[in-house]
Amino acid sequence: MNFANLLDNYEEAVAMILFVIGFSNLLLQPNLIKKIIGMNIMDTAIYLFLALKGYIEGHKAPIVTDGVQSVDAYINPIPSGLVLTGIVVSVSVSALMLSLTIRLYRRYHTLNLDEISTQIKKEGM
Amino acid sequence: MEFVQNFPFLTIIMALFSGPLCSVLKSKAAKWVNTISIALILVMSVAVLLFTLQTGEAYVYQMGHFSAPWGNEIRVGVLEAFMAVFFCVVMLLCMLGGRKELAEEVEETKQNLYYVMIGLLLSSLLALIYTNDLFTAYVFVEINTISACGLIMIRQNGRAIEAATRYMIMSLLGSGLLLMGICYLYDLTGHLLMSNIKEQVAVLAETGEYHIPLLISITLMSVGLAIKSALFPFHSWVPDAYGYSTLSSSAILSSLVSKGYIFLVVKIFYRVIGFDVIRESKVINVLFVFGVMGMIFGSLSAIRESNIRRMIAWSSVAQIGYIYMGFGLGTTAGIIASLFHILSHAATKSMLFVSASGLMDVSNHDTDFFALTGSGYRNKAAGVAFTAGSLSMVGIPLFSGFISKVLFASAAYDTSGKLIPAMIALALSTLLNAIYFMKTVIRIYTPAHRANIETDSRVITVKEQPQKAVVLALFVVLNLILGLFSEPIVNMLTQGLEMFG
Amino acid sequence: MGIWILIPVFLPVIAGVLLLLPVKQEDVGDSSKESLTRLHTVTAAVLIVSAVLALLAAWSGDNTYTWFELMEGIPIYFQVDDVSRLFVTVFSIAWVLVCFYAFTYMEHEGKERRFFGFYLIVYGVLVALCFSGNLVTMYLFYELMTLTSMPMVLHSGTRESIMAALKYLFYSMCGAYLGLFAIFFLYKYCDSITFTAGGTLNLALAQGHTGILLAAVMAALIGFGAKAGMFPLHAWLPTAHPVAPAPASAVLSGIIAKAGVLSIVRVVFYIVGADFIRSTWVQTAWMTLSLLTVFMGSMLAFREKVVKKRLAYSTVSQVSYILFGLSVLSPTGMEGALLHVVFHAFIKCALFLTAGIFIYRAGLSEVDQLEGIGKKMPKTLWCFTFASLALVGIPPASGFISKWYLAQGALEANVGVFGWAGPAVLLLSALLTAGYLLSIVTNGFFPKVKSNAHVAIAAENAASPETDAVQTQAETDPLSGVTEAPLGMLIPLAIFAALSILLGVFPNPLIQFVSKIATAVM
Repeated sequence: MNFANLLDNYEEAVAMILFVIGFSNLLLQPNLIKKIIGMNIMDTAIYLFLALKGYIEGHKAPIVTDGVQSVDAYINPIPSGLVLTGIVVSVSVSALMLSLTIRLYRRYHTLNLDEISTQIKKEGM
Repeated sequence: MEFVQNFPFLTIIMALFSGPLCSVLKSKAAKWVNTISIALILVMSVAVLLFTLQTGEAYVYQMGHFSAPWGNEIRVGVLEAFMAVFFCVVMLLCMLGGRKELAEEVEETKQNLYYVMIGLLLSSLLALIYTNDLFTAYVFVEINTISACGLIMIRQNGRAIEAATRYMIMSLLGSGLLLMGICYLYDLTGHLLMSNIKEQVAVLAETGEYHIPLLISITLMSVGLAIKSALFPFHSWVPDAYGYSTLSSSAILSSLVSKGYIFLVVKIFYRVIGFDVIRESKVINVLFVFGVMGMIFGSLSAIRESNIRRMIAWSSVAQIGYIYMGFGLGTTAGIIASLFHILSHAATKSMLFVSASGLMDVSNHDTDFFALTGSGYRNKAAGVAFTAGSLSMVGIPLFSGFISKVLFASAAYDTSGKLIPAMIALALSTLLNAIYFMKTVIRIYTPAHRANIETDSRVITVKEQPQKAVVLALFVVLNLILGLFSEPIVNMLTQGLEMFG
Repeated sequence: MGIWILIPVFLPVIAGVLLLLPVKQEDVGDSSKESLTRLHTVTAAVLIVSAVLALLAAWSGDNTYTWFELMEGIPIYFQVDDVSRLFVTVFSIAWVLVCFYAFTYMEHEGKERRFFGFYLIVYGVLVALCFSGNLVTMYLFYELMTLTSMPMVLHSGTRESIMAALKYLFYSMCGAYLGLFAIFFLYKYCDSITFTAGGTLNLALAQGHTGILLAAVMAALIGFGAKAGMFPLHAWLPTAHPVAPAPASAVLSGIIAKAGVLSIVRVVFYIVGADFIRSTWVQTAWMTLSLLTVFMGSMLAFREKVVKKRLAYSTVSQVSYILFGLSVLSPTGMEGALLHVVFHAFIKCALFLTAGIFIYRAGLSEVDQLEGIGKKMPKTLWCFTFASLALVGIPPASGFISKWYLAQGALEANVGVFGWAGPAVLLLSALLTAGYLLSIVTNGFFPKVKSNAHVAIAAENAASPETDAVQTQAETDPLSGVTEAPLGMLIPLAIFAALSILLGVFPNPLIQFVSKIATAVM
């Protein structure tokens, strides 16, 4: 294991750590709101990773100013585009999850998914 | 360029726009818009299939003004076109078969929203089938998930909403992993178009560079899609989601939604990574093991289940296991067997859901196993269709299930070391299938008065519900076609897979 | 002739489905005499026409017909050869006779329409099984036979019958899957899966894969042996028979168990070839299993008190005679086995039909209850006696001839210790057979002392007021009021009994026919 590499690419390492935090929250938290937060952390970690991949040290955002058209001046624009698309997706998914949460809360007066399951079993349908 | 070549793109767009159109229409108008649009898409897909069969090669359809490697593409071959046709047929039948239940179970004002979801779902399925861009595939995977969640929660009871929430959570975990895998791959190869990625991956595999990141990427993508398509042990959401949603939703979810993801797996194996690289990675062994376990545990859970809808749902878990076992064999024959099983399972499982609901109609809408006693006499069309579906699941010759079992077995034959486990798993799962399906068939044909069980005395004749009877008859015919004329279909799949990579 | 082969298959199947279509849940049998007569006429007409057509198709030369391709290189293919002829003739005769018996018997069970519907369908499937020309076709109709014969087991719809039907289904499916497993392997290593006398195994290809191929053959033997009631998959027989109606038991034991034998003959002698398994562990295991089953079946039958169960165990034992004859892999053994197929089919039908008559007339299902039955229905018991004698193998009845050939075959074949152990077990089992069948006969004709005493007391009482005596007799004697079986049941039974004796007296044409088969495959 070469820790020097890990230190060199510390941004990616952070992204991975965030991803794992988000993933395990989404999987393990019984509280629905925390689950949604976990999901957002997970998605954000991926966007961080993507943005890092597109970033080139010392280059600028790909907006043509002063007529400079050389490729060397700008960072890779595609990952930024992907991040934007990804954000749209994750926003809509979050909205859907939140609306589901509201419905469940109105019906069962709790945000804990396990408790909701027990209540449903008690209802016996 | 021929005009037909525009059709794949047009079908996606049509499905996508039929959704919003439905949202502003009255539910009755929305119903017809939806049916007609699916039928139209079916006709167009058939035209595409005929075209590709005629030319005998796949073609690339450029989206927008940027050419490869930057632009977005659609790639159409025999396999894609055939899948599109088949998905449209099954979806049309599921929608027609579930109309009555939809009208009964969903509020009048919400019905047109259901058709929005169906439109979105169909367009995302078609896009998953046709797209040649990995990130586009991800976006449509999410659209697929969202619309599938809508299909589950349209029935406004607590159980359905809870099932939808659990479905969403599992799906989101899956899509997180999938997206991460795609990002890794993009990082490694610098491309998003599948064909270009494959070239770069071939270079990487040859030089041996980045071996571990490549492996991680493959694993992330496979596991992500496996979670989404309910491979054991990620199947916990299946019985609730299929068991408590409205009829069309259950049928479509089990027969189409999971199949869309599985088709994407095939695509990743063949077109993105390249099958040789996949074969050398150990990922397929993992898929094989989970597939085999799914086959057994899914069936075992189905035996213990007394709710008929949930029983059929558990059986889906087992059938998904079959498909992944086929992938896990690591041969082209295995993939063909899995592809055939996608068809066979889609045709059979939706038929089982529709016929089981027909049986419940004459049993006080009770899902309990014993309430169904004698229902095969009270609703004959449903009884016959359920029996046919069960026979197919058990793998009786003449039905499609037998052909897929034979294909799996002969595919397993050519592998080293996986033959015996595959054979044992096939044997065990066949027996377990026989137990719970034949038990149910006997139950629905046991006269209630003999078993001393009080049941509904309602009788539904074919004349009362001609539409449902026709749908069930078409399902049986579809199943028999797959079972009796498998040869041209398998040939088509083989040909399609050859031009797929 | 070609496609004409399919007519005797489809005619009964279609007629059966048409009979079944209007069946309702409350169907407790057609109460009106008129509709019942109509049902019987239709069933009889369809069955006789299809049986005649089947026999015509069988005996009018070597027909072949390819129906369609199920998968690439796997056609659904029919072919008529001597084995088909033998089996289809036996099946047809027994099926028609049992059908006439069932017309009367099923009045007592009800739901005739359902029974005869499935009865016709199974006949069609059996004819197709006999005519099957390759492994996959055979497997197809084997599975269909299981499925379509299952409703006959669960006819009464009670809990026990459902459990029995599920057990039957489970064992058969288990077996069929083992068979399918073997078919996969054989498909890879055989030149073709079409049945060819002497086998089609490609020895060059099989080189180096002998171990797995032998295992596959063993799997097929155990698998198809499930239908034939061979240990270890024999347990469905004694469960399924007591709950099924008597005609269904008769054909399950007499005919459908033989379908398992037919499948084994096809796999071993027409695909694998006898030479491939000669003096391998498979042959040893097969001989051991069949002998074990012969002995075990007889022992269990001897101890069993319920008549139909006793007969079921007897089937377990007798069908394994056939399997033992096949397993020694000598021409004489095979002749004996095929002869026993014919004889046992007729004998076992006769025995089960008698058991059915006891149930139908007197509601008696246990051996002990049958004391003195011979006084009440002598004709029935005489038929039973003849059939029993034939099964025990008393010359000149038919069983003697087949057993003679079986023993001869075992001695002739070079199978080491089995050469003398086999005949010894067969002899022992024949003694047991005599024990469990003839005890019914002797008890039936000559009731024991206790019963005599009872009669004597009754006679004494006869001196005192007569009404009393009649009353006590009615109270204590379960057989009072029992009369001879109706003609509709007696005639088929008598024909079976006559066949089981007469075939022993004039066996020569049959022996010539089976020896033709045996020499062709060995």
